[in-house]
Amino acid sequence: MEFEAVIGLEIHIELNCATKLFCDCPNNPGDEPNVNTCPVCLWFPGASPRLSRAALEKAALLCLGLNAEIQPVSAFDQKVYYYPDLPKGYQLSQAHLPLSRGGWIDITDEDGSAKRLRIHHIHMEEDVAKLVHEMEGRKPVSLVDFNRAGAPLVEIVTEPDFRTPHHAMEFLKALRAQVRNVGSSECSMENGTMRADANISIRTKGTSQMNTKVEVKNMNSVRHVGDAIAYEISRQSAAAQAGEKIVLHTRLWDPEKKVTTPMRAKFEGPCVPDPCVPVIKLSKKEIEELRARLPEMPADRAKRFVNQYGLSAEEASYLSADAEVAVYFENLIKEGVAPRAAMHWLTTQLMPAAKDRNQELSQAKVTPARLAALLKMLARDEINANAAREVLAHLFASDASPEEIVSAKGFKQVSDRGEIDSLIDKVLADQPGAVADFKNGQGKALGFLIGQAMQASGGKANPKVIREILTKKLEAFCKA
Amino acid sequence: MDSVFFYRNNIKAASRSGALQKIKIALQPNISVAGWPTEAGSNALAGFKALENATVAEHAVKAGAQLIGYTRMSEFGFGLKNSMAGSALQKKAADVELVLDLAGEARLAALRAGVCGFKPSYGLVSRFGLAGLIPSMEAISILSMNIKNIRGILQAVAGADERDSSMPEEKTPDLKPTKIDPKKTTLGVIKENLSEMPAKERESFDRKLNEFKKAGFSVKELPFPNFSQFLAVHQIVGSVEASSCAGRYDSVRYGKREPQAKNWNEMYLSSRGAAFGTLLKSYLIQGAYFQFESYAAYENACRLRARLVAQMKNLTAQADFIIIPAVNQAASENPATLAETYTQFIYTVFANVTGQPVLFLPDKSGAGFQFTAARLGDGQLLSLGEYLQGGGEK
Repeated sequence: MEFEAVIGLEIHIELNCATKLFCDCPNNPGDEPNVNTCPVCLWFPGASPRLSRAALEKAALLCLGLNAEIQPVSAFDQKVYYYPDLPKGYQLSQAHLPLSRGGWIDITDEDGSAKRLRIHHIHMEEDVAKLVHEMEGRKPVSLVDFNRAGAPLVEIVTEPDFRTPHHAMEFLKALRAQVRNVGSSECSMENGTMRADANISIRTKGTSQMNTKVEVKNMNSVRHVGDAIAYEISRQSAAAQAGEKIVLHTRLWDPEKKVTTPMRAKFEGPCVPDPCVPVIKLSKKEIEELRARLPEMPADRAKRFVNQYGLSAEEASYLSADAEVAVYFENLIKEGVAPRAAMHWLTTQLMPAAKDRNQELSQAKVTPARLAALLKMLARDEINANAAREVLAHLFASDASPEEIVSAKGFKQVSDRGEIDSLIDKVLADQPGAVADFKNGQGKALGFLIGQAMQASGGKANPKVIREILTKKLEAFCKA
Repeated sequence: MDSVFFYRNNIKAASRSGALQKIKIALQPNISVAGWPTEAGSNALAGFKALENATVAEHAVKAGAQLIGYTRMSEFGFGLKNSMAGSALQKKAADVELVLDLAGEARLAALRAGVCGFKPSYGLVSRFGLAGLIPSMEAISILSMNIKNIRGILQAVAGADERDSSMPEEKTPDLKPTKIDPKKTTLGVIKENLSEMPAKERESFDRKLNEFKKAGFSVKELPFPNFSQFLAVHQIVGSVEASSCAGRYDSVRYGKREPQAKNWNEMYLSSRGAAFGTLLKSYLIQGAYFQFESYAAYENACRLRARLVAQMKNLTAQADFIIIPAVNQAASENPATLAETYTQFIYTVFANVTGQPVLFLPDKSGAGFQFTAARLGDGQLLSLGEYLQGGGEK
């Protein structure tokens, strides 16, 4: 019996708002415990929640960036349960009337075809406090840090369109890029600002029935999501083959043992409309104003890169996924660098170098202006590619301009034909064997001789000129 | 031990100026005053001192009023058990009392003390700093011997408050006194209220209506066959909201924590078990029941509520004011259970469900009457009261 998996994801994203969702406390979870609290987020008697307009707008922009339809009316509900990380005995969420419905992310499937993964809805909710478990001597204690309580989150609930681990991983990567592009969140699974849970069920291939699903949690990276889904599919398939019934429950991914294990489910409470937070009404005008504020999204940017800069679809897609990279790329072009050169040097040289030095592209010492100056020198043949790579390293280390570094370190390329000519004559004289090989039809000898000439010039000679002159001289020898 | 006051403010206020400079206010301890024991009549808040003033308290003090202390109250204001609301007025220790009205408590306290009681329109007075119980129905109400004081307080404390976002967005109505001309005023009376009354009450009520007619008012009978549904709606929706609202009293961040619990769950159960009295516990458990076991009933109650609000709006469009009895003579003298507590309030809960203003005026007969108007008709309603008391604009 062949099975197919039916998978949906629930993703929590922490918005990068300055303040919490219902009060003005700073939204900085990393601060000293319990410094970012007030009577509202601690839910003291008499407290009254005030929905942050900034959080609402950031959430709405995120929804628009995922092609979702903002609902003109949405409201908060109380998800009722009790736990020490939940100060009022309910979590404010949007169960009945979410902020947006619909939406999608397009990915490329493993066979190269395009696949659309649909979003069911996106809703806002507040985060809960952080629990820290410690030992006080022999006694286990749990400490509660309310810095995170009340932080603004959105939850993205997808349709069960996913069939493979690849779908889930690509979706998460694209989601991360798109939300970062909108500017609503840093979306880092490592930092916990993006958390993903998966709902997985299986059914006989070719059928359309929806079977009992299992929820999987504790997948802390895109890689883990893929591994956990793959494991769970095979676990459920084996169980089904053995005639075992799949029961609705929650499992935790264990990244060490690479298995999912059942966990005691958190008590599911009812959702009651909240009487304190007013219903959210967004007019058509307000929604259009928000839409106008949406930055260019990766898909549109990629199309524009193809049309404007003549890049291939794949190249454009790669450069347009991350806003930081796209901005840097276009700044290089503004400074006069050709698109292909810009793309090559940005992706193969600058980005790895910045990553090695733990620098964000937008904060890198090597600004587009400095790199452009270097690349223009390269384009004018003032230096060769090897030298350019070395200068780049120096640009990270100092504030000097590329011109200053080139002259200080003597990287200037020798393009003087006369100089190169005499240099080549000397090489040919020193390498009669290679010359003979070339005469006998061994093309490889040319490469060898070019190398020798480069070496003799101390790496400074213009390789194009060497090749040109050397080739001419060798051909002359052959004719002779 | 003071039988009336739970806490007395003995700090002599600096020289006061403002519209309320001659007014002494006694509050219930569910209205936060910074540094005062804002315990709301409950063990859940034993030892709790408010961190900042409720907006109501803030406005009153700014207008020159003196806050003289906290009166003894029922647990979170639900029902009238242990409530001494109205007594400070009777003892002439205060000119005004602020009393929470969840189901009619403030109005019945006024009746008991023989004073005027006014429940403002929902949302007219900020609930910021109120340790309340039923967010969509509760209103801080005003008790006093005379209506002039009530109007003065309302003018000082009513209005939009950026700290309470649940206040509806309507503009604050004009609260200045207006002239009442009985010949141009229609009083409505609900047909079903009349037909359900026992004979003696009916007689007394009819006598009152005749007095109004003699004074020149037109009296009109209005049908409201669903009036009795207000009680069930209030019981279900009120208990659901109360259950959530009281969820924060878990002894983690404030309140009394029971020692020797083996784990966090036992700590919650034992602390919350000790925090609430039996009556309130019944109410909270009822609310939890509807949330977890009978959600459909709660949804129906919400739908019914919307329908009742619309029907009442219809009625208040047909008369300037509506007169409704206050007392259910069949109610128990000392209600103990949830059901007994609610039977006191069969004529008062409507205003908490709809959010409309109500003025209770005491009467020689001892029964007293409620007068109500459309939502935000607070100014005119007080004018009617002033007229009936012999004051008012001429």
